[in-house]
Amino acid sequence: MMRLRALFLLPAWAFTLLLFLAPLLIIVVYSLQTKGVYGGVVEPWTLENYTRLFDPLYGVILFRSFLMAGVSTLGCIVLAFPLALYIARSGTRKTLLLNLVMLPFWTSFLVRTYAWMFLLRDTGLVNSVLLALGVIAEPLPLLYNDWAVIVGLIYGYLPFAVLPLYSNLERLDKSLLEAAADLGAKPWEAMLHVVLPLTAPGMRAAGVLVFIPCLGAYLTPDLLGGGKSMMIGNLVQNQFTSARDWPFGSALSLALMLIVMLLLWALLRRDGEEVL
Amino acid sequence: MGDLQLEAIYKDFPSHRVVDGISLTIPQGCFYSLLGPSGCGKTTTLRMIAGFDEPDRGLIRLGGRTLNGLRPYERPVTTVFQSYALFPHLTAAENIAFGLKRKGDPDTARKVKEALDLVQLSAKADRLPAKMSGGERQRTALARALVLQPEVLLLDEPLSALDPKLRKQMRLELKELQARVGITFLFITHDQEEALSLSDRIAVMNQGRLEQIGTPQEIYLAPATRFVAGFLGAVNWVGAIGVRPEMTRISREAPGNGARVVEATVSSAMFLGDCFQVETKTPAGDSIIAQIAHGIGEFQRGERVHVWWHPGDEMAIPQ
Repeated sequence: MMRLRALFLLPAWAFTLLLFLAPLLIIVVYSLQTKGVYGGVVEPWTLENYTRLFDPLYGVILFRSFLMAGVSTLGCIVLAFPLALYIARSGTRKTLLLNLVMLPFWTSFLVRTYAWMFLLRDTGLVNSVLLALGVIAEPLPLLYNDWAVIVGLIYGYLPFAVLPLYSNLERLDKSLLEAAADLGAKPWEAMLHVVLPLTAPGMRAAGVLVFIPCLGAYLTPDLLGGGKSMMIGNLVQNQFTSARDWPFGSALSLALMLIVMLLLWALLRRDGEEVL
Repeated sequence: MGDLQLEAIYKDFPSHRVVDGISLTIPQGCFYSLLGPSGCGKTTTLRMIAGFDEPDRGLIRLGGRTLNGLRPYERPVTTVFQSYALFPHLTAAENIAFGLKRKGDPDTARKVKEALDLVQLSAKADRLPAKMSGGERQRTALARALVLQPEVLLLDEPLSALDPKLRKQMRLELKELQARVGITFLFITHDQEEALSLSDRIAVMNQGRLEQIGTPQEIYLAPATRFVAGFLGAVNWVGAIGVRPEMTRISREAPGNGARVVEATVSSAMFLGDCFQVETKTPAGDSIIAQIAHGIGEFQRGERVHVWWHPGDEMAIPQ
């Protein structure tokens, strides 16, 4: 019996060791070496890549990343909550609506981000319509700034906020809302004093699921920020490409990972495994 | 304040009519039960009084005021839900304070304390529902609804989630509580014993209609329909005449003058602890069950006996 179980677990273990732990180990090794002239890593071993992390220049980028990811997460939850509530109360159309939320995943994230560029650029749909209606005289600078990045991040990760909130709201006992109304609570009071507190686990789950990928995002800031809006993901990418500094890139990724792990630990400590 | 009146209430669900023309008056201060099998429309009736559902037709009045169209939070009635529906993130005291806070009652703290005392939960005031026993949850739900001093308290099968022993104890407490607060209780149940022991008046419902309204004695001893007779307890049917097993006697010798007698053969005899249950068959094929006390003697299978009852013990039911 024990042996059979081990046999079935073997592929999962092999997968984890080879494709997850091995690359991680390589990154740890890289982060402790010196950069080669044309990329790659060379001797000697050093801790310098880690001391460089404390350079205020990178601190600013890290702070910006947190800020952008935080604003995007907040935006996602604020938008996702009413949507999730609406779907949870849609009876037989729930499945259809949930599939619509997932629909964007059917095409590549890259293509969808390009679509946002077509929407937001000076000659894009939004500006064209506003110009044609005479609302504005000149195109608004919608693309290549922090707001474009935040819009792109909210768009990209909204489904990750909708799903946990939906599952939380769906499980919410309907009789609690009736009890609230019965005891004299108007609908908005029931929302504030009953629904919101009881959706806290769903909000935390949504926050984690959106914040973490936003923090490490690089495609969205790269395309919609136009290089002007750098986040930590772009910084890491730069080290491996134009800067040819693999060791520092590795140290940066490990630092990001550590921060994310600390955050997760702080959050999950509160309500155990219930969150995800 | 005043009587609660339902006037010709109808409610259709997509598949069928749930409430089919119900009219009744619940006197102020009365312990009133709506008794019926599951699916008879009693819970829907309660939900229409609370305001969770609206009747398709008919009026709901409370002391002359029409409740139709008012939202649940605008009605002077509160509910004890079958599942209690306690707010899981709030303690017993916070659950009880919920309604008072919505009204902005300046006396919230004192009233919560009194309500906790009333249901003997003062020691558990800071406990979350998840950490309470079934009985404690039940009392919290009661206190939460009563603290608002409603004109009518609606109770939707409030004892059904409790184990049998606790249920009997809570039954007593509920009766005492109602006498103490003097608020009209409308009690929904499918348990005839509960309805009989608690109520001042009982309305028996079946398939969306009222079968009979009366005091517990009236509906038990003089049921208006076969359904009521059968729903409130076991009945032996001898033609159109019904007799309850505990009113049915058995003897080897013919009984004295005046008794209604049927001759029958004993088909089984069981000892039930507090009595014997003897089942007999008449030549016509009717089965008659008698519950007889100890000391009357034991009867053997196959024995020929006289089954009889005192005049007036039978229930004559119009067909």
